Amino acid sequence: MSNSTQTQTKADASEQPQQQQKPQVLEEDDEFEDFPVEDWPQEEAEQNGSAANGGNEHLWEESWDDDDAAEDFSKQLREELKKVEASH
Amino acid sequence: MASQPPILDEFLGGIAVQIQNRDGAKLQDLLQIEPPLSEAYQRLIQELRQRYPPGPQSDSDLLQRCEALIPRTKGGSSWTAFPTFMKLYFTFLRDVNTDNLLDTYNQLKALLNQCVLALGDSQMGVVVLPTVLYLSKVLAKLAMGLDRRPELIAHILRMEGSMDNDESIEKVTLVEQSANVVREAFIKCLTDRTGTPGPQGKPEGKRVGIYLMANLCLKLLFQCGKLRNAEQMFASITAQSPPLAHFPASQRVTYLYYLGRYLFSNNLFYPALIALQAAYDQCHRQAISQRHLILAYLIPCNIIMGRFPSRKLLQRPEANGLTDKFEQLCRLIVRGDYIAFREYLSPSSPAAEWFARKGILLTIRNRCEIMVWRSFCRKVFIHSGFHGDPQAQAQRGPPPYLYLEKLTVATRWLQSQHRQAQLSNGVNHATPDFHFYGSQVIPEPIDPDFKGLDGSEIPTAQQLLEKFGDYLAPDGFFDEGGHWHENMPGRLIDGNPGADYDAFELDPYAEATEDGPEADKQSLLMDEVESILASLLTQGLMRGYLTHRNPRFAIPGARVRGALPTGFPNIWETIFAREKDDDSVPGWVRPPPPGALGAAGGGRVVNLSGARPVGVQ
Repeated sequence: MSNSTQTQTKADASEQPQQQQKPQVLEEDDEFEDFPVEDWPQEEAEQNGSAANGGNEHLWEESWDDDDAAEDFSKQLREELKKVEASH
Repeated sequence: MASQPPILDEFLGGIAVQIQNRDGAKLQDLLQIEPPLSEAYQRLIQELRQRYPPGPQSDSDLLQRCEALIPRTKGGSSWTAFPTFMKLYFTFLRDVNTDNLLDTYNQLKALLNQCVLALGDSQMGVVVLPTVLYLSKVLAKLAMGLDRRPELIAHILRMEGSMDNDESIEKVTLVEQSANVVREAFIKCLTDRTGTPGPQGKPEGKRVGIYLMANLCLKLLFQCGKLRNAEQMFASITAQSPPLAHFPASQRVTYLYYLGRYLFSNNLFYPALIALQAAYDQCHRQAISQRHLILAYLIPCNIIMGRFPSRKLLQRPEANGLTDKFEQLCRLIVRGDYIAFREYLSPSSPAAEWFARKGILLTIRNRCEIMVWRSFCRKVFIHSGFHGDPQAQAQRGPPPYLYLEKLTVATRWLQSQHRQAQLSNGVNHATPDFHFYGSQVIPEPIDPDFKGLDGSEIPTAQQLLEKFGDYLAPDGFFDEGGHWHENMPGRLIDGNPGADYDAFELDPYAEATEDGPEADKQSLLMDEVESILASLLTQGLMRGYLTHRNPRFAIPGARVRGALPTGFPNIWETIFAREKDDDSVPGWVRPPPPGALGAAGGGRVVNLSGARPVGVQ
């Protein structure tokens, strides 16, 4: 019995150092862990106790098209297209 | 030792009491197996070894003692599976040898199997539900531990010679075997007929275990990569489970997480988004690691549907570790540089490794590139398209358009930019300047089968034979009548391949025209650009039409809204408009709508529809 404890603890322990090498703490395990409590009211799920369930905060960007002509890639592309136009 | 009272008697007495009280939790508490075991269990093991040493006689004696545990029913079927389980429990304690973890695993699995059989009893089964869950968790932990550290049992497998057995039999990993046992328990829970079963019902009897068992099974199936096996589970849940809302938050969130991931990997992005968003919304705000994992799938799901994570979201603590990966991905989609996008997700990139570990690399690569092309086309249109004549508000003016030639020019420019960057970095990915075979936009090395075909020389028969000998001169062949003929070594089945060899037969893409190679080069790329645009138009990610003869992308009906918003509509809005009418999520049982018959649980309304358009307050 105790052997298995040792083996399993060993297994856990040897994973630890690898995890610690990684800069992000959250990267260590891809396993969806069991929750420490079984149930909770919806209020405890909400960020900062906000009234609605996160929908109030702006979480997603729907409009992200880039119209910034000064951005590097756009600038280079425009110059290149101009060059070609001039040569025609 | 002899002076101590027999602990086995005491232990069996305790078990009998819990059976009589139908107290499953206390029963489970008694049935410990996981080390470290307390002093009392050590004494129990000692006693078992002394009084019931391994052997058929003591096993049957033990069984007899365990049979006294269950209430006798008059003439009715008695719960025979339970005494057998108890006997196995005792022999497990007595015999387990953790030097051989494979044996331990198999014994534990047998024990769980027997417990699941005991669970099947319609009257008493529910009493062992907590024990089934407990044993399942221990088995899952052991199986997943051994899966991560195969060297712990490699020597045993080698000794038993079970590693090189019949290749034709599919090997079932320990994790998958465990999933199969847990699934049996899940089915027993789901099909319990106590009280009101089905979607109108409540979690009563064994049904309280539906999602506990399902979640454990899903964890194992994800671990062993057998997602397909989950399909039947989700279908049975849809058909027979009470609404998920009746179950505790921890079970709901865990289940919606796995369901969302399953739907995501089946390319059902909108249902996946709803499930994952609901998991995120219901997850306890302090459960950072779980929220982190949910986000790791919720974010790509949204990106694929055209919605990017906001700064606010990425600044949340649970987004730590996700931010840089997804921010860069979004940046590349916005920029429209498809080569940089491909490089970011190519096998050599560290980010790709991360995406692959999460199991989302291929989905992202396949689904997002089209958005990169949309951004690229949009930018080319901004800089060199005809945007319509603002003066000529009159009806006659032509609609805004873009010559596709500009796109091919821009593509070639992009390719040359990257080639230069590679050369200056000392990297040479062997990207040929130009080739007639394969894609014109993908700068990857040519498929080896097409290598060398660019040369003007037609390969000789000898060369062909060297390369394709296994096909041209096989060991034998079937004739028209279906009869097998042996072939002489080296004899060409279809005659000399060089005799009627036509170089162009091997070219799946284009034929040389009279316009000369320069024009052909151009038309090859043009064909591909047209296909990409056609795909964008079909998906509704761009709006307008293509003309083929004088290749253009035209944007009619742009007078009111303007050329850009008309020709390049918002991706999220487009996809959401298409999907929003059906917000059902396969595998997620929701309470029947109010007013539907038998709405007994209608008092408890839980808002589960996490998917609402952003900005709606």
